Amino acid sequence: MTMAPAIISAIIFFGSLILILTEKLNRSITAIAGAALMVAFGKIFGFYSEEAALEAVDANTLGLLLGMMILVAMLEPTGFFQYLAVLAARSSKGKPVRLFILLGIITTILSMFLDNVTTVVLIAPVTLLICEIMGISALPFLVSEALLSNTGGVATLVGDPPNVLIGSAAGLSFNDFLIYSMPIVLFSWAGALFLLRYLFRKELSKRPRSVKAIMRLNPVETLNEPLVARRILIVLGGAVLLFFVHHALHISPSLVALSAAAIALVWVKPDIHDILKRIEWSVLIFFGALFVMVGGLEHAGVMEAIVGLLERASVVPPVLFGVGLIWIVAALSAVVDNVPITIALIPVIKGLGETGMDIGPLWWALAFGAGFGGSGTIIGSTANIIVTTLSEKTRTPITAKLWNKRGLPVMLVTCAIASILYVIVFQWM
Amino acid sequence: MNVTSCMKRDVVSVLAKTTIREAANIFVKKHIGLLPVVDDTGRPIGVIGMRDLLTLELPDFVTFLADVDFVHDFGAVENTHPSARNLNKTVKTLMKPAITVEEECGLLRAYALMLQHNLHDMPVISNDGKLMGITSRVDIGVAILSTWPKTDK
Repeated sequence: MTMAPAIISAIIFFGSLILILTEKLNRSITAIAGAALMVAFGKIFGFYSEEAALEAVDANTLGLLLGMMILVAMLEPTGFFQYLAVLAARSSKGKPVRLFILLGIITTILSMFLDNVTTVVLIAPVTLLICEIMGISALPFLVSEALLSNTGGVATLVGDPPNVLIGSAAGLSFNDFLIYSMPIVLFSWAGALFLLRYLFRKELSKRPRSVKAIMRLNPVETLNEPLVARRILIVLGGAVLLFFVHHALHISPSLVALSAAAIALVWVKPDIHDILKRIEWSVLIFFGALFVMVGGLEHAGVMEAIVGLLERASVVPPVLFGVGLIWIVAALSAVVDNVPITIALIPVIKGLGETGMDIGPLWWALAFGAGFGGSGTIIGSTANIIVTTLSEKTRTPITAKLWNKRGLPVMLVTCAIASILYVIVFQWM
Repeated sequence: MNVTSCMKRDVVSVLAKTTIREAANIFVKKHIGLLPVVDDTGRPIGVIGMRDLLTLELPDFVTFLADVDFVHDFGAVENTHPSARNLNKTVKTLMKPAITVEEECGLLRAYALMLQHNLHDMPVISNDGKLMGITSRVDIGVAILSTWPKTDK
C-alpha cells in the first residue's frame, strides 16, 4: 500500500486547521475549500469518492442544529431574553453579587438547551444595559456569561455542538447525557461560578451608583410579542419532553428538533425570509464541509494509523487514558475550534473501540475536554469571541491578559473537577 | 435653480488639529449641526456631525439593543460625560468622510444625496474643490416648496 493518500489527506486537513487557527482565512471558506480538495484528490488517488463524501456527512447533527437554530431565530425577536435578564436585574435589587449569580444561572440554563452562541449574543447586550444603568463594570458579567455557557452547555445532548456530534456518532441519548454528563458538569459549573465570584471579588464589591433606575425597568415591557414568545416556548418545552423519550421511541434528536421547528413555523407563521436570515448558515456549512474532510482522512487510512499508535498506549489504565484525553482535547480546544477536533477524534475513538477497548467512558472524556477547554482563551469558543467583540465596542474592552487571569483558571478548574469525578465515576463502571 | 441659491455662505470650519473639546464649543456657540474639517487650502477633508459628538456621551448599550423604549430611566449613565482624554483628541480621530456637492448641483440631486446618506447638512464646494457654503435639508426643502404653484391656475 502506498502512503500517498494518507499524506495528501493529512496535509489538506492539517493545512485547513492551521488556516482556521491563524485566522488567515474564514473558517467556513477554509472548510469548503478543504472539502473540495479532499474529494478532488481522493478521486485522483482513488481513496475517496463523491458517494463516500456524502455518506460522511452526519445528517443527524446538521438536522438537530438547524431545527434548534430555527426555534431560536423565532424566539429572538420576541424579546424573551431581555425579559429574563430584566427579571434577574429586578430580583437582584441592585446587589451586584446577586445579579452576578442570577444572570449566571439564567445563561447556564439557556445554554443547556440552546446554542451557547445565541444565548450569549442575546443576553450580553441586556447585561451591558443593566450594568451601565447601575453604574457598575460589565466586565465580570460578560466574561462569566461566556464561561458559564461554555461550561453549562456540556450538560446536555443539545447544549453544545461537540455533544451533538458525540451523541450522534456514539448513539448516546438525551438521557444518557443527563445521567453521565449533567452531574459532573454541575460540580464543574459550581466550581467555575465560585471561582469567578472570587476572581472578580473586587469589581463585584463596588456599590452601584443607581439602583432606583433598575427597579423602574418593567420586564413585561421588554416583551415585544408575548403571544409569539409563549407559543415558541410551548413548542420548545414539548421538544425537550420528547428529547427525554426519543431513545425509547426510536426517533432521532434531529427529527424532534426539525418537527418542533416545523410546528412552530406553522403555528406562528413568521416572515420566513426574516427567520432564514437569522440562521447561522456559515456554521452548518462549516460542519458539513468538515465531515467531508474528515471522511477523506478516514478513507485514506490516517485514522487507522492514529488508532494503531494509540493502541500501544492502551497499556495505560483505561481511566487514566480517559483523563489524558480530557486534558489533551481541552488544550487543543483552547487554541482551535472544538468542532474540527471533535469531528476528527470521533473516528479515532470508534477505531479504538474496534480494537476491543471499552470506549464508553472515552466519549464523556471527549465531551468534557471539548466543552471545558474552550474557556481557556478568547478564541477558544465562539461565545468568548462574541463577548470580547462586544466589549471592544464599549469603553471597557476585554483583553487577552484579562482572559488569562479569568478564563484560563476556569478552564483548569472545570477540567480538574471533571477529571476527579471522571476517575471516581468510571473506576467502578 | 442650483444649490448655491439656498446655501449659507458664512460657513464655520476647523482644521484637523482642532480638539474635540474646541469643536464642541463651536457647535454650542454657533448652534450648528455639522462642522466641516478643511486643510490649509480650504478644501474639505471630512466632517464632524452632532451625532459623532453625541456618540461619545451615549451609553454603549444603546447601539446594541434593537429597542430601548422600555428603559425609562438611564440611571447612572444619565450624567456621564466624555473623559478628558477623549475631549483632548483631535477632530481628525472622529471625523467622517465628507459627502459634498459641487456648486452647480441641482436641488433634487442634492436632496436625493442627503436622503441616501441620511444627512441633515451638506457642504457645498466650488469648482476648485474649496469649501464655499453649507446647505441643509430645510434650506433645500424650502427652496423646492417655494417653486410649487401657489394656486390652481
